[in-house]
Amino acid sequence: MEYVLKNGIVYDPANKVAGEKKDVMFKDGKIVDSVSADAKVLDVTDKIVMPAGIDPHAHVAGPKLVVGRIYRPEDSRKGVTHKTDILRSESGFSIPSCPSTGYRYSRMGYGTVVEAAVPPLEAKHTHEEINSTPNLDIVPLSLFGNNWFVLQYAKQNQIEDLAGFIAAWLRLAKCYGVKIVNPCGSEAWGWGMNVHGLDDPAPYWDVTGREVVTALAKANEMLGLPHSVHVHPNDLGHPGNYPTTVSTMEALKDIEKNSTVRGQTMHLTHAQFHAYGGTSWRDADSGADYIADYVNNNDHVTIDVGQVTLDETTTMTADAPMEFDLYKLSGLKWANKDVELETAAGIVPVIYSGKAPVNSLQWAIGLELFLKVNDPWKVCLTTDHPNAGPFIRYPRIISWLMSNERRQEMMDNREVHPWSHRRTSLASLEREYDFNEIATITRAGPAKIYGFQDRGALTPGFNADIAVFDINPNDIDPSRNHEAIEKGFSSAMYTIKDGEILVKDGEIVKVVKSHTLWTDVKGMEEQEKRVMDRVMPDFTKYYTIKFENYQVHDKYLPNPIVTEVQAGK
Amino acid sequence: MKTITFNQKKTSQIALEFDELIPDEVYSWEKADFEKYMVPIGNSRFPLTDYFDIEVEGSAESPEEIKMILNGDYGRVKYIGTKMGAGEIIVNGPVDLHCGSQMKGGSILVNGDAESYAGREMEGGSLTIMGNTREFCGCSYIGDWRGMNGGTITIHGNAGKQLGECLSGGSIYVKGDCDILAGIHMTKGFIQIDGDVTRWPGGQMKNGDIVINGELGRLLEGFVQQEIVENPEIDGKDFSGKYIKYTGDIALNGKGRLWLDAEKNRHLLY
Ligand SMILES: [Zn+2]
Repeated sequence: MEYVLKNGIVYDPANKVAGEKKDVMFKDGKIVDSVSADAKVLDVTDKIVMPAGIDPHAHVAGPKLVVGRIYRPEDSRKGVTHKTDILRSESGFSIPSCPSTGYRYSRMGYGTVVEAAVPPLEAKHTHEEINSTPNLDIVPLSLFGNNWFVLQYAKQNQIEDLAGFIAAWLRLAKCYGVKIVNPCGSEAWGWGMNVHGLDDPAPYWDVTGREVVTALAKANEMLGLPHSVHVHPNDLGHPGNYPTTVSTMEALKDIEKNSTVRGQTMHLTHAQFHAYGGTSWRDADSGADYIADYVNNNDHVTIDVGQVTLDETTTMTADAPMEFDLYKLSGLKWANKDVELETAAGIVPVIYSGKAPVNSLQWAIGLELFLKVNDPWKVCLTTDHPNAGPFIRYPRIISWLMSNERRQEMMDNREVHPWSHRRTSLASLEREYDFNEIATITRAGPAKIYGFQDRGALTPGFNADIAVFDINPNDIDPSRNHEAIEKGFSSAMYTIKDGEILVKDGEIVKVVKSHTLWTDVKGMEEQEKRVMDRVMPDFTKYYTIKFENYQVHDKYLPNPIVTEVQAGK
Repeated sequence: MKTITFNQKKTSQIALEFDELIPDEVYSWEKADFEKYMVPIGNSRFPLTDYFDIEVEGSAESPEEIKMILNGDYGRVKYIGTKMGAGEIIVNGPVDLHCGSQMKGGSILVNGDAESYAGREMEGGSLTIMGNTREFCGCSYIGDWRGMNGGTITIHGNAGKQLGECLSGGSIYVKGDCDILAGIHMTKGFIQIDGDVTRWPGGQMKNGDIVINGELGRLLEGFVQQEIVENPEIDGKDFSGKYIKYTGDIALNGKGRLWLDAEKNRHLLY
């Protein structure tokens, strides 16, 4: 089937197309540069056309989502809709059901989302949830930062064996890349403790976060994975944590990049949660300048923000000691999910309120990061869904980024507490994003950061993953009209995935199966064998399940998209 | 005034859901509108008139002017009066789950028993149950920590477990007996139980008052006996006789007050 999207205003930053009126053509699921006269014409005159959205960091599938959904029935009852002829019923606000997750991303013009924290032990279940989430390609990252085998290799500085371990474990868990969460801290939680800073060793291990992050980053580059290490540093959410964040970035500065498809050797995730000054919540202020300056002056780091949306939401992270602190602060309920030998997660509901000084400060710090990082290719739009707010708020964040007037209005009329401007420089930042920059932080940038070679751009041969929004960029002043921007980006006029129209005028018209992206490393066979020989005795001794039941068999990925990389190349 | 009368024709094994049939929604409806209406049952909808004959008399400009009289057995009809803001509903028979849940105003009178979750998350208005009710009357939604915060519930019969769980405002009166954990997690508000209570009222309460005029089986360890008070004033209301006053739950540094009739609860005095 051939199609022409006719007369749209196209934003395709990867191809340096910034608001040109032109046709976009696709055939048999791929973008093409010409079609026959029989092609079906979709009139999108003066509407925004972009590649489909790519969310570089969210939590949408896996064990902690399940715990969250089970222990927050009060969230599940929000957003309930009846089933229709093609849709299942929806439920949930911050932790929507799997089908709702797929539908809602699809309605916003998204086509791909990264599930940022898969414990290998729970990978099977994560893939089952991915298979229940329609209309979205999902990119799982595997957790390595507190894995006992990784701690061992890092301690002994055996980078080649660590690389072999990563190659083997990505294949076992069918994951795309390496995620690190509070390195050594989640292991310390096994003893009811945390680590503080990059040089505080995990109890009984005598290995530090610095050693773990550095070793994993070196191994990641030895393999030449399409994505860099994806780092949630130590001290998340603690006042005065920005020096830890800067030291973590600095620790990876000299690691040599071994990839032609991405620019960075480290992706710092939900930077907002890692950009706090002060010594306690009493005197906390913004550390956004330090983070933004570092990112502006160094090319080895990219970030996503983790913007607070001022909603009641659910926090969930493989940073269990942090969640315990949060539980003690909030007094609400708490769930803990330990994953033997690998990680530990916590789940706590949070009400981010514009009346609360701390939440308003967090809101402002996130926006500062967006506005202070000069190069939009280095920063991505996320809420660390659902941690800082649900992903359905992305259009609202876009409206804040495009309108200084709206930001000032929120501060002036006290929709946010005065800490938002007294303790940050947000009030002085007049920058407003344009549509091309929005397309960069939601599409082209994330695609580059993940080394995607089939999406995130309207390049001939790429997947026909396209979003059209009912916004005429030549006829709207986003600065004045934030509501229309939010509305326009909430409900795509068309969402097209692999050449199929999934959404029309904000409604799902077709439901398709998701793809799962994972990375198959070649050329490490010898090291992998050595590693397996070495870890199997410990595996058998310490894990409560058998290895045969641990690995994710192919049948768990009915629609895989495999990225093959040749290690070292 | 407009009076809307439902006379039951048949019952259903699977519960009907009445949350769309509140005065706020139906005040302008005529008989023909009810005849068109499809009521949710399970995962489908069926004509309301398969189950009820409906009479409409008079006229109304607003929900305040509505009186709904529901005759028959509503033991398999859920969500009667859910989220209602005004008007009056009288049920001459028993009701199923969630009657008066999230109601904001107006009144509901049930001349019969009510199933669990009656008055859940109530914000205002009054709910009167002439018979018994079951678990979680005047509580939060399951999983939530925010319960009833306004209005009045009166139960003339007995109440089940976790009455007024997470209560943060409003008043609950039980004329009969009450099962375990009344007022668990409550932070504010008032509960009065005239009959006997099995055990553990006020678990993890932080504030508010619970008065028990009958006999209490067992008290939680987190309550500290303070004094015996004669004719106390509690939550702005005058009580006569002697009451043993406790405070708790000390497990949460709670400042809640538990008042037990001193005569009936001598066994707890030390
Ligand atoms: Zn995250």
